[in-house]
Amino acid sequence: MSIEEQYRKRAMELLSGGAVKMVIGYGRGSNAERRRPVFISSPEEVNRLVLDEACIANLSGYLVNEGLLSDEKRVAVFLRPEGIRAINILAAESQLDAEQIVIFGFDVSGNEVKALKGIHVEEFEDVIGAIKEHAPEMGNEELLEKIEQMNPQERFAFWKEEFAKCIKCYACRQACPMCYCRRCIVDSNQPQWVNTSSHSLGNFEWNIVRAFHLSGRCVECGNCDRACPVNIPLRLINHRMAQEVLKSFDHFAGMSKTQEPVLASFKKDDSETFIL
Amino acid sequence: MTKILFSDKLDKCVERWKSAGLTVMGPVQRANIKTYAAVEHASEFDFGLILTDRSIKDLFFPQTEPMLRYTIKKDAINTDECLPPREQRIIFGARACDASGMAIDDPLFGWDYKDEYWFQRRNESVIVTIACTNADEFCMCTSLKMAPDSTKGSDVLLRPLENSKGWQVEELTERGREAFKTIADLLQEGSDTAAPVAAVAEKFDLDACVAWLQNPENFDSKFWKEISMRCIGCASCTYLCPTCHCFDIQDEGDTYSGIRRKNWDSCSFALFTLHTSGHNPRSTQSARWRQRIMHKFNYFPSKFNANSCSGCGRCSRECPVDMGITETLQEISKLSQ
Amino acid sequence: MSEPFEPKIIAFVCTYCTYAGADLAGTSRLKYAPNVRIIRLPCTGRISPMFILKALQKGADGVLISGCHPGDCHFTHGNYHARRRWMVFRALLDFIGIPPERVKYSWISAAEGVKFAEFINSVTNDIRKLGPFEQYSQLIEQTQAPASL
Repeated sequence: MSIEEQYRKRAMELLSGGAVKMVIGYGRGSNAERRRPVFISSPEEVNRLVLDEACIANLSGYLVNEGLLSDEKRVAVFLRPEGIRAINILAAESQLDAEQIVIFGFDVSGNEVKALKGIHVEEFEDVIGAIKEHAPEMGNEELLEKIEQMNPQERFAFWKEEFAKCIKCYACRQACPMCYCRRCIVDSNQPQWVNTSSHSLGNFEWNIVRAFHLSGRCVECGNCDRACPVNIPLRLINHRMAQEVLKSFDHFAGMSKTQEPVLASFKKDDSETFIL
Repeated sequence: MTKILFSDKLDKCVERWKSAGLTVMGPVQRANIKTYAAVEHASEFDFGLILTDRSIKDLFFPQTEPMLRYTIKKDAINTDECLPPREQRIIFGARACDASGMAIDDPLFGWDYKDEYWFQRRNESVIVTIACTNADEFCMCTSLKMAPDSTKGSDVLLRPLENSKGWQVEELTERGREAFKTIADLLQEGSDTAAPVAAVAEKFDLDACVAWLQNPENFDSKFWKEISMRCIGCASCTYLCPTCHCFDIQDEGDTYSGIRRKNWDSCSFALFTLHTSGHNPRSTQSARWRQRIMHKFNYFPSKFNANSCSGCGRCSRECPVDMGITETLQEISKLSQ
Repeated sequence: MSEPFEPKIIAFVCTYCTYAGADLAGTSRLKYAPNVRIIRLPCTGRISPMFILKALQKGADGVLISGCHPGDCHFTHGNYHARRRWMVFRALLDFIGIPPERVKYSWISAAEGVKFAEFINSVTNDIRKLGPFEQYSQLIEQTQAPASL
């Protein structure tokens, strides 16, 4: 039985037994390459679920939609390892109760989809630990290295050109499972910290703020990158910040549901070579 | 015999227009994005694109624009109105959906108050449209009762030749004729045949959809919730749409000086309708998506007698969660059968 | 001859240590560069990276941040939290192309009036050498310009 069939069967059992109220998974999209999020709440619909190598979006962001989990019922969700890490972070930041989440774990390597064993988030700690040790290639290593070798002026010019494309549609924010704030800092105007206009300065500020708020929290699922309609390499900045917290604080975001958020904790002997 | 513009003459045309004081713009690929931008040479154009990522709207209604500057002193408040810089432009190689999108928005920007920012740029621009010979699965102009060679909003229509050596020229407006007078000697009479326009399949029954939307009973249909459940509430559909025109006015500055700006805004954002009291009349994403569809196919046509959609399909093409007008209207077509 | 460049520097300091240190520098009649505008905050833990961005947005050529030495925080560990945040924010600014030399951090206690004066002088000198933050002022200037298409 293929993984798709196994998971459809499991979804059917969970829904008909009332163990979960909804299964969030992937369905067919508007063309052969696309998959779209689907929300299945009756056992008759499980055949709409699709699982193959084109299922890449991280669906964990839907779990923090207003009111979804407030009835304390369980919800099942299809997640790749990055999605599972996202659940850990959301639980660690008290955005959801991990007990309510039933995981249909899977991973894709090449064209092969393999199931990840487990139902609850704590059962995947080995999988996540393995990613910490051997990070999968992102495909942007070359560009990252190129940027690292630039001098500050060149780096500034590079990002200025990239951010100049930004139209402030906030697709990056809306697609990100970690951007769950009811009111984003750019939408707050008392005080207004950064410019809301989409001019060069406003775009620059927005992208710095976004990256900072995701530092040590990003799971590198790539939702922002894929959502950006103007192709800004957003994941690159997040990746650089993830490297930074790993190097400086040995923090790998989303290891467990009790992991302390890196910027809400400290060690007395944290590095401070840069402080005069 | 028809007038023909051969592609090898295009660079000369660009030169000619530039020396006549026009800014020449068109579809280009720059910094990993496909967009309309000013060019120096014809070689910068990319006519192979089915459609640019960003719409032609950017050239008439920029994402952010200063409206006035103010300074406040003890004894005086000074304001300086800012209008766009004067610039005669020719936009060469627009698509029919983009050009018609501008014509759709003309009555909106001029029905009551005449938006100077919009009309100054409209009056100073010549739109030269190239009929499409290729389409992708998201194109839907035919479903909106338009075509890959619609002339609405265009000043000149070019039809690519079958031998791909140039275009048949059809001058549509006085402004178009004026711009092509500058290059009259570069055009040739010829009998080369035009390539067939792209076949764009009809995807939904527009009249049936509009009738369904106009039925007040359907305003509270559970359909809206189902269709928009996966909407994440970003504005990529509205900001890439050639006809979406909502904006917000923001004051940037402090008590002493600053700028009042006109910025794009989107009905997809929760903040769009949020009241100061905290009440939000469109409190759910489904209400916001419904508004977008209703506005385009119900409210707008009832006032301006045209749908506020030109069928470019960017909303579906670029949606991070694979939603869009096409899918919604297809589902409504099914419901209304 | 044109006027030599005098940088505009904003300092965010904690009220319990560095601000008191600045006060000591003053009452001790120590001379230090007048380029710095001090903004007093309850704790370094209260210094949000938003403040740094705001300072740059308003045209600062450099930003200083200073508070109590580790272990001395009036609120026990506000400065430990701040330290982590700076570490990350500093790396981010560097990656984006905002030179780390323009945003400086230090620990200065209420007894370190001399250190305060020296810190201000050395940072002012460094930033004077770097010159105005032209790349950022270009961004600011562009907000004043008509819409570019």
